[in-house]
Amino acid sequence: MKIVVCIKQVPETNDVTIDPVTHNLDRRGLAGVMNPFDKNAIELALHLKDTATDDVQVALLTMGPDDYAESLREGMAMGADEGYLLSDRAFAGADTLATGYVIAQALKKVGDADLILFGRQAVDADTGQVGPIVAEFLHQPQITYAASLRLSGKNEVTAERLLEDTKQTLVAQLPAVVSVRSELNTPRYPTPRNIQLSFEKPLTIWHHDDLDLDDSRLGQAGSPTIVTKVYAPKPVKRELTPLTGTPSEAASQLIKALKGRQLI
Amino acid sequence: MPATTAAAEKLLLQMVDDYTTREISPEDMPMDAAGDFPAGFMQKLTDTGFLGIMLPQEFGGAGFGPEVTAAALNHIARGNASTAVTLEGHFKTIDQILKFGTPALQKQLLPSANDRIFAFSMTEASGGSNPMGISSTATREGDHWVITGDKIMITNGGLAQVYCVLVKTAPKELSVFVVDQDMPGFSFGKREDFIGLRGTPVGEIVMDHIVVDNDHLLGKLGDGGIIGDSAHDDARILMGAVLTGIMEHELKIATDYAKERKAGDKPLTELQVTHRKVADIAMRKETTKLLYQRAAQLKAAGQPYSEEAAMAKAHGSRAAVSAGDDTLQILAGYGYSREYPVEHLIRDARAMEIAEGTVEKMRSAIATAEFNK
Repeated sequence: MKIVVCIKQVPETNDVTIDPVTHNLDRRGLAGVMNPFDKNAIELALHLKDTATDDVQVALLTMGPDDYAESLREGMAMGADEGYLLSDRAFAGADTLATGYVIAQALKKVGDADLILFGRQAVDADTGQVGPIVAEFLHQPQITYAASLRLSGKNEVTAERLLEDTKQTLVAQLPAVVSVRSELNTPRYPTPRNIQLSFEKPLTIWHHDDLDLDDSRLGQAGSPTIVTKVYAPKPVKRELTPLTGTPSEAASQLIKALKGRQLI
Repeated sequence: MPATTAAAEKLLLQMVDDYTTREISPEDMPMDAAGDFPAGFMQKLTDTGFLGIMLPQEFGGAGFGPEVTAAALNHIARGNASTAVTLEGHFKTIDQILKFGTPALQKQLLPSANDRIFAFSMTEASGGSNPMGISSTATREGDHWVITGDKIMITNGGLAQVYCVLVKTAPKELSVFVVDQDMPGFSFGKREDFIGLRGTPVGEIVMDHIVVDNDHLLGKLGDGGIIGDSAHDDARILMGAVLTGIMEHELKIATDYAKERKAGDKPLTELQVTHRKVADIAMRKETTKLLYQRAAQLKAAGQPYSEEAAMAKAHGSRAAVSAGDDTLQILAGYGYSREYPVEHLIRDARAMEIAEGTVEKMRSAIATAEFNK
């Protein structure tokens, strides 16, 4: 089994400023650390590796400047087997869509990943979008906000999904993409010895020409997101109507409800 | 320094910081109050691989060098000096086995240093700073040595499983042997109730006709003085790092408080008397840091470092006590309260004016080194 954990390096400080021109996060000159939620995803992968009867390979993948290799090394010191760094000036300025595109293309090149894991979101931009975008590019089932996950069959995972006011239990066929919540586990610390040994593990750097890419989808040019304003939205309380029964019955209930509101 | 070495060191210190903040620092005040460390604490430290930070990779350790090992203890001491001193006692002992042990002894003992604590014991009731005053002996009987005597005030005494012990092998001959707590004739004695570093066990071992093979001798017969001095030198670098960590803690307490507190209408940060104290604490901290880092650099480069190590401890221990006193004065009544850690930091620092050679002995060693130049 092969698990790929997609991670991100984020600014170490909470004191991140907004660029007054682009309204994007200004990460210039800030020391980076691994996104804390991504450690939960790595821990999940390592737990599956530790408890599996078959061989499980855990790879890490990130996109960013060369110094993002530090987070890959940290993940390898936790126990991951190898790392991939996607680094090229052409990838700079990417929004979540352009980032997801490059990561998806890289995952195709990595090949044969049974399970692709993400942290629930990065603590700098807090979008939580890249995992779902990658799943769409790869045409794979996705489960977001997983608070528990287990291999429930040879090619199947079962996850409990924690939402604001409900829990869902979902089953997905592998290969699948899953983003995980911090309630899932407590990430292990890398030991001093494993820190040293992590530098003997393979770290592959892929630049623009190493991947099959459509240049119009890269960087700022490939990013449709325009940030016009940054503010905290007011919470919206939504009504929840559970759909019950078989998938066919649930679909009928959904159609009825949507028709009742004249939405279809 | 190779780029991978620098990156690994950065990652180590980042991990040590993180672990100290989450797991070690919260135990500091409870350890001081209880005079012990909590159940499971040492096991967690062991599981996280802290015991093997400087142990070479061939023995299952991480193999970090003297500079980053000292820096790691410095980072731990920012949150908990007792834990840092426990590791200091372990590391200095490993260092002597690496320097003076035969390859066979190293291969036999050192892999276990990843999960067993080691300790170096010199002091006895009849002799501390004067090693020739000790009474413990090792007597040759056939192919073996028989060791008898009591050792007191051992850092990690009672906690450690492996002990390097300084004994007399002739009336004027000092030698060092390695004994294990599992050997027949080995037992633990009294544990000290010290006023500082209360989370570091300090205790006594009793050796009643312990039989060891000749390969448990460190170095040659008569090398005891050299090995003892070497253990002191290595310990003093690490103590300089621990003392710097204590002063960093004190400086943070002093500046955080001064930024929040007013005297009358004026914030403490605007008072010249506060400026003087904070500046003095910062200068003491920085000079000690430079001294221990210099000694560690010399050690890493294979240069003599005895004098610099003595300076780091002699200067740093008084500096940390004085910095604690200034911090206490800035906090005034709060500083004098046991609810705040300031008084306990002073007690912790005070221990290092005595342990690993008194400051008076340090000054003699430094002055002698200067006269001999």
